[in-house]
Amino acid sequence: MHPFGDLSAYLDRALSPEARASVQAHLDTCAICRTRLAELRGTARLIAALPMPVPSRSLVPRVSAPVWMVALRTFSTLASAAAILLFVVSAAISSFPRAQSAGSAPAAVPAPSAALDAARSGATSASAAPQSDTKYAAPTSASASPFTAFNPLPTSPTPAPAERSIASDATRRQDTGSASPSASIGDFAVAARTSSGTEQPPFNPFPWLWLVLGVAFAAVSFVLGRRLRSA
Amino acid sequence: MRPDVGGATEALLDRARRGDGRAFEQLALEVQRPLYRHAARMVGHDDAEDVVQDALLSAWKSLASFEGTSFRAWVFRIVTNRALDRLRSRRRRPELPLDPPAEDDDAVGWAEPAAAGPELADLAADREALGVVEEALATLPAEQRAVLLLRDVEGFAYEEIAIITSTEIGTVKSRIHRGRVAVRNILVSRGWKGSSG
Repeated sequence: MHPFGDLSAYLDRALSPEARASVQAHLDTCAICRTRLAELRGTARLIAALPMPVPSRSLVPRVSAPVWMVALRTFSTLASAAAILLFVVSAAISSFPRAQSAGSAPAAVPAPSAALDAARSGATSASAAPQSDTKYAAPTSASASPFTAFNPLPTSPTPAPAERSIASDATRRQDTGSASPSASIGDFAVAARTSSGTEQPPFNPFPWLWLVLGVAFAAVSFVLGRRLRSA
Repeated sequence: MRPDVGGATEALLDRARRGDGRAFEQLALEVQRPLYRHAARMVGHDDAEDVVQDALLSAWKSLASFEGTSFRAWVFRIVTNRALDRLRSRRRRPELPLDPPAEDDDAVGWAEPAAAGPELADLAADREALGVVEEALATLPAEQRAVLLLRDVEGFAYEEIAIITSTEIGTVKSRIHRGRVAVRNILVSRGWKGSSG
């Protein structure tokens, strides 16, 4: 009885040691089985030698996020952190004079209309006051930003009614002078310190502008993060 | 010698499991051509690209549930299953098995050479002989063909093939043998005798 059914497994060394020994013993005495084994070996070699077909395109699905997305996410995260840090710092600076002039706080109540006025005229010329005039710089930086209009913050120190004319004066001045945003932050910092002495704590939108920026960047970072994870 | 024995592949697999898409793409890049070769001989060149691409995407999606160590064996399993599914869906009666149950492997018929011809072992580089082998493979039942290709082309061990095709090792052994004998018979019927060693 020829062990034909075991010949392929013998060739592939997939038989148990006993079965292998038995096939080996048979092969030593059987020329037919040796021929069959040689044929199977030749067949296996031919199958292995088949030419390699090449796909016409890449078959690897794109599952990794594009580089720009990763970079943008890193940037947004850092920008968000930086903006929130600036928010904390500038809020601390702006609350410092208020704490000093707490007695004058009631005078600052009707301010929103003044701020609105100022914002209306200030929005058309998005520029800051001349740097030399630190006395007017504070109300100007308040009016220079349209954020004033939709930041009705009850706790924020705002210009008193007496400041109204000064504020609009300052807005008129704006048309001539201009400065970079960072310069106006500096202006403000100076102004905040000077105005603490004059009992007129300025309304300062910058902390809130930083907060809005920080939240916006955090949102971008969050959305990108989810995209990156699901990719 | 196998690509997935290397520590680099293991590290890539580890990273890919943790959601690193770039690591997965690198792993897939290493196996895409063997996968395509396998799929093309299973379902033909036209469908093979789709089968491989779908299989790789599905591998990425279920990578977290993959607990084995051989990424290569795992993706071959997915590709083989997809290819067999596609072949079944092409048939009019998909419920019938692609490979009818085996009879006694010792009883598999051996065709006698029609005439004397060059020996098989000498024909490995012969285009004509390889063409006959391609044709012969195409006539095999799909499950037999899958197993034979996994063994002779991809070099998987019987145990690995049993896992890849979700079959008993006895079935693997039987399919490899019957597939080889069938290819040998077609070669012999074309006038070749493969008696060299």
